[in-house]
Amino acid sequence: MLIRTIIVVLISLMPIGAFAMHPEAQYGGTEEISNLDVLVTRYSDETCKECHEEIYAEWKESYHSQSVVHSIGGLRNFIVHGVEKGWNAEITKEHLMRCMDCHAPQLQDASKSLIRDVAELIKKTVDAQDEDAKEKLAKLNVNCVICHNTKVSIEKNLKGKPKPGVYYGPKGKSTTWLKKAGFSATRAHGTERSAAVTSALFCGQCHGMYTPPDGDIIGCNTLYGSYQDAYRGNGGTETCQDCHMRAKNRGHRFPGAYEKDIVKDGIGVDAQVIGLNIKPGTWIPTIIARVSLTNKAGHRIPDG
Amino acid sequence: MVLDVTAKTDRGETVPIGKKEYWEIGLDLDGNHRYGAWQIKEIVDLTLPPRKTVQERFMAELPEGTKSADVDITVTYHPSKKITLDVFKETRTVTF
Ligand code: HEC
Ligand code: HEC
Ligand code: HEC
Ligand code: HEC
Ligand code: HEC
Repeated sequence: MLIRTIIVVLISLMPIGAFAMHPEAQYGGTEEISNLDVLVTRYSDETCKECHEEIYAEWKESYHSQSVVHSIGGLRNFIVHGVEKGWNAEITKEHLMRCMDCHAPQLQDASKSLIRDVAELIKKTVDAQDEDAKEKLAKLNVNCVICHNTKVSIEKNLKGKPKPGVYYGPKGKSTTWLKKAGFSATRAHGTERSAAVTSALFCGQCHGMYTPPDGDIIGCNTLYGSYQDAYRGNGGTETCQDCHMRAKNRGHRFPGAYEKDIVKDGIGVDAQVIGLNIKPGTWIPTIIARVSLTNKAGHRIPDG
Repeated sequence: MVLDVTAKTDRGETVPIGKKEYWEIGLDLDGNHRYGAWQIKEIVDLTLPPRKTVQERFMAELPEGTKSADVDITVTYHPSKKITLDVFKETRTVTF
């Protein structure tokens, strides 16, 4: 115990070079995990909230923090009606990842048995209203580590895989003295500037049609296609981040279809109404209304 | 997204003037409407396209003898079956 305490203290005193030893940095590991808590720890955002308190609080309000439990009914239907009844098969990792590649990318590291456990938890949550199961599943989500590390390397071949313990952001800010010493890091973690994070394609990885390895297309949502072809294709220039994060300091709350404020921003309405009497002699009171709706969002309204 | 235009006459009748729904229909390859993400392979797009203005025109007759009517123009948004957001509401009074 004492030895462990000393090691922990030593690690926390080591500013750099120790990233690979931080618990939250263990997702660089390659072995498959069979225990949900171990998997959650590998991608843990527990430490992030100590320093990035405000961002953490915003993210917690967003649907990214509930990306499994908020979609639980659909996920359950996929397992029960899609795989078990429709395909007459037992759920495999390849099956479940066609949802979880976006809803909980952490599961890429799960063993076959953990995948089956997660599928059971999903069924229990819906069919038995099991709050325990729901609580466990709530730990799987699109968190800080997923966006600032796992999903950040879009150009894998050109730029390589994301490095464990390094968080990729729009600026790649460093603590001054570390920068002077030639490191790109803060006291807690490495940092690197990433053009990908600020791109629409970064969001597009999860916000569009999806082709799993077996080619059996998933049409969960089609938003990114609309962004590229209809918005950019018609001269639109803003990115997802411009409207969903930077505008009105929306930050990491990522408001969308459930929030009146942004929905109102997305639609312009012009209404013209006249009343007249038609059909001379009979004189029927008649109303003519012309309404025009302008979509000011960056994609079709609504989507999905 | 739903656009609704409804008139309320001076005599208390409610008369629908027009209604339009904007949505996406997910289809499987047999052309059947589907809800499951794993079933949907194509969509029929009845939504509002970005950077475009869609114009609707409705015309409706009111009961004979109507002297005036309040016309409500509302736009509502339905992110899920249980939730309705009131995005736009205006009332115009017309007289005959
Ligand atoms: C390409 C990434 C991706 C894949 C693959 C994917 N989803 Fe989704 N899913 C999303 C995103 C992003 C949203 C939220 C988008 C929105 O609301 O417009 C979402 C929303 C949902 C919702 C609706 C949540 C709500 O707003 O009520 C359900 C249910 C759902 N997904 C189920 C599934 C199932 C089941 C699968 C697998 C068969 C799946 N998804 C595959 C990305 C994906
Ligand atoms: C859905 C993906 C996503 C998630 C989840 C996410 N971020 Fe971000 N984050 C971004 C993007 C995109 C930007 C860049 C925003 C911009 O370009 O204005 C960003 C920016 C940042 C920045 C830089 C802010 C600045 O002003 O320089 C920090 C720090 C950060 N995120 C930390 C976090 C933390 C901590 C969490 C978890 C609580 C988190 N992020 C969760 C996508 C995400
Ligand atoms: C001990 C404090 C501390 C902890 C813990 C911490 N960070 Fe940071 N982080 C910082 C500081 C300081 C910066 C420099 C930028 C700033 O001042 O916000 C930073 C910057 C960032 C950036 C932005 C890089 C850029 O582009 O400028 C991201 C992304 C980020 N952190 C993600 C995380 C994530 C994810 C976690 C949890 C796994 C985490 N941080 C934990 C202190 C911390
Ligand atoms: C790892 C996959 C992933 C990435 C990357 C991602 N998202 Fe999401 N996002 C999701 C999922 C999954 C949901 C749906 C969660 C739910 O409702 O169950 C979601 C939900 C949302 C919502 C709320 C949807 C609604 O119906 O209101 C918005 C807005 C959003 N994301 C914007 C963004 C933006 C902007 C980016 C890029 C900066 C981004 N997302 C990156 C997976 C992702
Ligand atoms: C020009 C501003 C703008 C841009 C650019 C933009 N959005 Fe949106 N987005 C909106 C507005 C406004 C809404 C609310 C209206 C609605 O629900 O469609 C919205 C809604 C959403 C929703 C909820 C959609 C639904 O119907 O369930 C998601 C998810 C989303 N955006 C993601 C994205 C992603 C990902 C990108 C980039 C590929 C993006 N947005 C680009 C303005 C924008």
